[in-house]
Amino acid sequence: MSDAEKRARFERLVLPHLDAAYSLAAWLVRDDAQAEEAVQEACLRAFRYFGGLRGDDARPWLLGIVRNTCYSQLQRARQDGDPLQFEDEGCGEDAVAAGAVVSFPVNPEVAAIRQADRERVHESLRALPVEFREAVVLREIHGLSYREIAQACEVPIGTVMSRLARGRRLLQQALGEREQRGESKDTGT
Amino acid sequence: MKCPETVRLLNAYVDEELEAAGVLAVEAHLRECARCRAREESLRALRSAVQRHTEFRVAPAALRNALQAEFGARKAAPVLPARRQFAWGAAALATLVLAAWGLQVVFERPGAAPARGAGKVVYHISSSQNAGAALRTLRNHLEAAPHTKVVVVAHNEGVDFLLRGARDESGELFATAVRQFKARGVDFRVCNNTLVRRRIDGGGILPEATLVPSGIAEIGRLQDSEGYAYMRM
Repeated sequence: MSDAEKRARFERLVLPHLDAAYSLAAWLVRDDAQAEEAVQEACLRAFRYFGGLRGDDARPWLLGIVRNTCYSQLQRARQDGDPLQFEDEGCGEDAVAAGAVVSFPVNPEVAAIRQADRERVHESLRALPVEFREAVVLREIHGLSYREIAQACEVPIGTVMSRLARGRRLLQQALGEREQRGESKDTGT
Repeated sequence: MKCPETVRLLNAYVDEELEAAGVLAVEAHLRECARCRAREESLRALRSAVQRHTEFRVAPAALRNALQAEFGARKAAPVLPARRQFAWGAAALATLVLAAWGLQVVFERPGAAPARGAGKVVYHISSSQNAGAALRTLRNHLEAAPHTKVVVVAHNEGVDFLLRGARDESGELFATAVRQFKARGVDFRVCNNTLVRRRIDGGGILPEATLVPSGIAEIGRLQDSEGYAYMRM
């Protein structure tokens, strides 16, 4: 592929997904300036490894690169002890396996979720551990299928399912919390 | 099917990612289990709340233009966002002010004379406050003499603008300008001695910049062996 052909193909297949790339980066690194940087770096990598794209659907492929770039950036921020970045550990999938998802939503929780305003939704989503956050963002905001999320995050579909379930359960609890506080939680059957 | 299996499949069910047999099994259980119906209701309420209150972010115009310029088929010069264009008159003024501040421009060419019509200049940036003005000067410089080969050597506090996330006085990312300059053939070199001394990790430097062992030695080498003119910022 000549340079001109590569550029034409890149422009046609990759650049239309720039907003998607920026949206994902903004949710993952939680800072607009860093998101911008992550997207620039991701596009540089995408261009370099463009030959590795199979087929014509560049979206999950590009989002995977954006995601990896964001993870490197978060890692660097963590090493530098950047106080803006939270520790995202200690909330792994073991909790799901141990049945943490099985708590039973009571009606006030549903009511509170329905009443949750924009600020509260954003705040709760931003507070999710990054691997759950990315699953929820890719599903609800980007509308990716499980298979596409698995491809972007380089994990099996089963992991996508458990991360989504765990992420959503944490969100349900965060958003439903106000009304639910003080009520007993049923653990299901 | 019992509650635990239903709970396990419920997300895939509301996401319509379940195959037909799974859908039938989940629906059969939901008909007879109020608790799982409540779980389903809560999950749907959550999906709708998240979808209602979040939306796609639009990539900033400067970012889009820079990426289009660098990777697009039309290799057009990057289009500057409108609000930046007002600054150009001021930039020319800033150049004059800088000159008055003792900006040294030394057009000495020891060693081999440069190729005809292709001037070579090394910009030495050693203070973080001057980086924004230095890049504006560089932009004007390249507008007046587009074929000039420019190497920017950053040293001491002058490396700051090449750190990831660094911004100029108007809040724009330096990375965007650096990327545009790089696309026009400007090289950015960072003094590794400075990084070691200031304990800055090389990974924190923009990918467009390259490390050289010593900034000062690099400037000397460019002047002596490659005929670069020296410009201190």
